[in-house]
Amino acid sequence: MSEIILSGRGVTKRFRGLTAIESVDFEIPVGAIYGLIGPNGAGKSTLFNLITGYYDPSAGEISFRGKSLAGVPTFRRNQLGIARAFQISKPFPALTVRENVAVGAMFGSPDRTDVEHVTTEALRIAGIEDLADRTAEGLTVGALRKLEIARAIATRPKLLLADEPCAGLNPTETAEMVSCLRNIRGHGVTVWLVEHDMKAVTSICDRIIVIDAGRKIAEGTPQQVVSDPKVIAAYLGTPVAEETAPGPG
Amino acid sequence: MNRFLAAFAGLAAVAVIALLPLWLGPFYTRVIQFFFFSAALAIAWNILGGFAGYWSFGHTAFIGIGAFAAAHFVMQFGAFGTGPVSMVLPVLVAALVCAVFAALLAYPVLRLRGIYFAIVMLGVAQVVSELVNNVNWFQGGVGVYLPSPVPSGMAPEDFYYYVFAALLLVTFLLSVAIRRTRFAYGLLAIREDEDTAMMLGVPTERFKIAAFVLSSVLVGVLGAVYAYSVGYFTTYTVFRLDFSLNMIVFCLIGGIGTLFGPIVGTAVMLFLTQVLLSRFLDIHLLITGLIVVTITLVAPGGILGILRRRPRRAKLAAEPEAERSA
Repeated sequence: MSEIILSGRGVTKRFRGLTAIESVDFEIPVGAIYGLIGPNGAGKSTLFNLITGYYDPSAGEISFRGKSLAGVPTFRRNQLGIARAFQISKPFPALTVRENVAVGAMFGSPDRTDVEHVTTEALRIAGIEDLADRTAEGLTVGALRKLEIARAIATRPKLLLADEPCAGLNPTETAEMVSCLRNIRGHGVTVWLVEHDMKAVTSICDRIIVIDAGRKIAEGTPQQVVSDPKVIAAYLGTPVAEETAPGPG
Repeated sequence: MNRFLAAFAGLAAVAVIALLPLWLGPFYTRVIQFFFFSAALAIAWNILGGFAGYWSFGHTAFIGIGAFAAAHFVMQFGAFGTGPVSMVLPVLVAALVCAVFAALLAYPVLRLRGIYFAIVMLGVAQVVSELVNNVNWFQGGVGVYLPSPVPSGMAPEDFYYYVFAALLLVTFLLSVAIRRTRFAYGLLAIREDEDTAMMLGVPTERFKIAAFVLSSVLVGVLGAVYAYSVGYFTTYTVFRLDFSLNMIVFCLIGGIGTLFGPIVGTAVMLFLTQVLLSRFLDIHLLITGLIVVTITLVAPGGILGILRRRPRRAKLAAEPEAERSA
């Protein structure tokens, strides 16, 4: 097995009484594209929030490149190489697309030289060079997603956490996003994405982790995962057969 | 070429400003001096409120702290030097006191966002003002006094005209210099979306504190010099809600977060209120209020917002042409 970039051991997050993430283990190898799937409310975004430090885990430990992230503030985690693209695009609306990406380039890495070059390169990889001088306000959903990706990769991450990068995109845009993510991996960035579009997930991911109700229920290649009974049950429910509710009447 | 033109325009402006008091009467010299003071305050406010998006409704606290710090320093240790030189040390002390006060205040206060921060700053100004007024040691109630630094033979209004012109220039250049740095981009990111800024590696806490301290120090320096210009002052000469509000309104009118907005807004509002409306004192506040409401409704981006919108539209229309030919 190759080197592990991100690992979690017994990661748990409780909000008062509610356990959103319960004792989840994971190991993401360098250079992989991993998927994270699960029904709505399974805890996917919470898990990403724990990794970026937006929340602190209630128990367990997350390590990045072999070092524990406990107590490391969010902005420092980004500088270490963990970038995140949000599910709901969060552009800086009054700034131009280029400025949006430049913020990532300026702060995301201890290396502050060549901000302009990194910015341009990130715009190119995400395919939004032609929008560079527009303000982020009023961009289409597709362009906003690409901006999220561009801004995240401008921080020169080693690991990109992409939260539903294809949500709300049409099939053409989804295909573009998939090839964009492949391209990012080609630049040596490990990618972990949450995605509902199963076609996108299965076509791009090396392996998929499935969580349901805060617990990890499966992990494997896309083929293994989609045929796993536990996964099918989580998405579609268990067959109820005989014990159906009383008939109408 | 453009840079050459800008330098030339700058020099011409400096020459005009330097010569103006020669043919302006004392009244208009004072009006313009007050414009320099107010514009510099607006610029200082804009560093925190415009760049970082933290609207302070209590920046007059730092005018007051600067003023009283300078006065108490002179009372305790005496004036060092005579004439304009005697201002230097007390004003620096005022800057230092404001820096310390702002740094101590920053951590608890900047945890609040948006309207909560605004209101807390309003409260801070009120509390400091009451302390200065009611704690005997500060002598805010009876008033304090600063010795005049005006060189003999020079009219006070001319002297302060030049001093505030210089302060405005310095504040403006500082704000221009900051706008180009990584620091400014961090502040803008904080203004636009603080959580996202954090995720992109912006050390938000540190940057907010730095902006707060810088803004406060500039206001404190202006406050101390303002105190010199009035000579004798009490709590309510320098802790004035209208100072706090003017900084906000002037930025709002000109264009919050822009470099020239605070200056343009101050110029327009002071011209309207001090010059045009000075003959209608009975309805002057009414009209001022109407102007503020109208501009805010018609042009939320301020005057610079209107000016900027036009050319951008024209540019967008021209872009597809350029792309095709490229």
